[in-house]
Amino acid sequence: MFRPFALIVVVAAASALVAAAPDEASTIVYARQTPQTPQTEISVILSNPGSHPKIGIQEFAVSSPALRQAADTVASVLADDLKFEREFYVIDQKASAGIPKAATGATIPFTQWTQLGAEFVLMANVRDTGGKLEVEVKLIDVRPATAGKEGFSRTYGGCTAATPRFCAHSIADDMHKQLRNLTGVARTRIAFSSDRDGEPMEGRPVPAEEKGRGKAIYLMDYDGAQARPYTVNRAINIGAAWGPDGRSLAWASFVSGYPDIYLSLLDGRPATRPAHGTDVFQNQNPAISPDGTKIAFTSNRAGSGYFDIWVVDRDGSNLQNLTPGTPKSSEGAATWSPNGAQIAFTSDRVGPPQIYMMNADGTGLTRVPCGPKCDRPAWSALGYIAYTLERPGGKDIAITDLSKMEPRIITDGSGANEQPTVSSNGRHIAFVTSRWGNRQIASIDYDGQNIRQLTNTGVNTYPNWSPASGGR
Amino acid sequence: MTFTEDTMNRLQTLATILALTAAISGCVKKQPAATTTAPPPSTSAFPGAVTPRSTPAPTRTEVPPAPPVIPMDQPVTASGDPLEAASLEKINQDSPLKPVFFAYDSDALDDTARATMAANAQVMRKYVTWVVTVEGHCDERGTAEYNLALGDRRALAVKNYMVSLGIAADRVKTVSYGSEFPIVPGHDEEAWKQNRRAHFMLTAKQ
Repeated sequence: MFRPFALIVVVAAASALVAAAPDEASTIVYARQTPQTPQTEISVILSNPGSHPKIGIQEFAVSSPALRQAADTVASVLADDLKFEREFYVIDQKASAGIPKAATGATIPFTQWTQLGAEFVLMANVRDTGGKLEVEVKLIDVRPATAGKEGFSRTYGGCTAATPRFCAHSIADDMHKQLRNLTGVARTRIAFSSDRDGEPMEGRPVPAEEKGRGKAIYLMDYDGAQARPYTVNRAINIGAAWGPDGRSLAWASFVSGYPDIYLSLLDGRPATRPAHGTDVFQNQNPAISPDGTKIAFTSNRAGSGYFDIWVVDRDGSNLQNLTPGTPKSSEGAATWSPNGAQIAFTSDRVGPPQIYMMNADGTGLTRVPCGPKCDRPAWSALGYIAYTLERPGGKDIAITDLSKMEPRIITDGSGANEQPTVSSNGRHIAFVTSRWGNRQIASIDYDGQNIRQLTNTGVNTYPNWSPASGGR
Repeated sequence: MTFTEDTMNRLQTLATILALTAAISGCVKKQPAATTTAPPPSTSAFPGAVTPRSTPAPTRTEVPPAPPVIPMDQPVTASGDPLEAASLEKINQDSPLKPVFFAYDSDALDDTARATMAANAQVMRKYVTWVVTVEGHCDERGTAEYNLALGDRRALAVKNYMVSLGIAADRVKTVSYGSEFPIVPGHDEEAWKQNRRAHFMLTAKQ
């Protein structure tokens, strides 16, 4: 449920997001009040509810009745996108259904909208331009003093009546950027592993009693829509990781009978194997550096019987063990800091698995306080590390703010919750949960609000959230 | 590779020496049955505090010092054996190589596990062309990533023991599937105990 009063204010770490006010639509920019504290600190505060623009959405006009369904989809997906970031209060379209539709901004029945609490009304014309969908959007001020003023206006192409969601996501990202100084994630995607297609594995002679099901890498929109398989082999494929701009994808596949890292540039060419795996030297859990030049991964290559964090250039050169100093413990599940200078990872060097971070060259080790057992860190652009926290009560998602070094539990203990991945703007965490039965992918905000179920079929694991715009 | 007569003879001699050594030392002084005895399986889920690893994991070079004595059969090449000609898939469907099971969060081999592997070693001595991949599997508890490491240790423990029984190291490959591939889908100990396994998969005849 959308909570209009809870505004996440991210200090300093998000300063890039709250830079100069955009010149367009400056009359209705409601830049968040950013306390001028110098330290990197995450805090969740209650804001003035007035700081959230309250938006009504008028039924989108269509140039032909055939476009009605596509137009309604754009409107509802856009409303969902706006609610997701909790920067706008979106008035339920059912509540405003009885208000007469206006053809122009000037003829909107302002008072009827303001009685519902609206400050702005979003209206749109949806047209068919030679098979493409064109969506012309206007945001009209309905407040008494400024009624009729146009606040945001743009025309969107790039989608069709069969694929209207992308237009909605583009509108949402623009509105967040221009009106809220926020880099939205509506056009991002999430990669994950799923056995939903139930393909029996091949290359592994399966005994009769085993229901050997492969796991394919799937890609879906950030909101769970349009999930489709990416890998087509019948093997276990897990641990997908996006490269910068969503233009590459690495994962571990057992297609050769042992796990090795596969790297695809998502251009139709065959994936490469930069980590040089063999049936003896096995590699998994890749993480592509933010500049796209390196891949960190988990490998047994040192031959000690334990795993280490290794790093290799994208082309397969400069293979290097980053954790050679602890031959009797396993290190794995590497994640890069957003600036690429550091790597967080899991190690069981003190017994139970714990989270550590180090410089990208392996120096400067620091333990990140987390709890009894922790695994699979994910580094947020907002200065926290999310991870799976395992306690006697079960598994939950927790985060540790790197300025305070204090762990905080995000999920509420319903089901087993694990394998967090953080959205590019740092606000949202996708993870695996068993709370609905089979393991499914969900998203939640880092303050523990705004839980959404993103998958609903098969067993789904290893989510990885793409960088901004997802390479579309 | 193929086992030559010479290799077999040498192994047989080695086994005889080991058997005699074990018998003699057994007369002189009572010894523990095996030096790789596992600590009791931990049933309390997790220690609340950071504690040292309780189960020493095997390395790829570690060999248990006192393997039990196994009677050495000559390799059988009887043409009437249906397994000689059977496909890998067919053999794996009802494999003479049995899985080894583990305690929770442990890679230790108990007496049952060692007996299973002794029998599996017999089979592998009989079918000298067989190459197996030992798959380490875990139950669904613990994190997926931790389980990939745990499954790897389980597979290595099994491999090292098989090697100690005289099976050539290059006939026993290992892989960990972690908790990705449960054999029983349930969410209780009945399912978990069957999923904590090392599975012998026949992957080649060479």
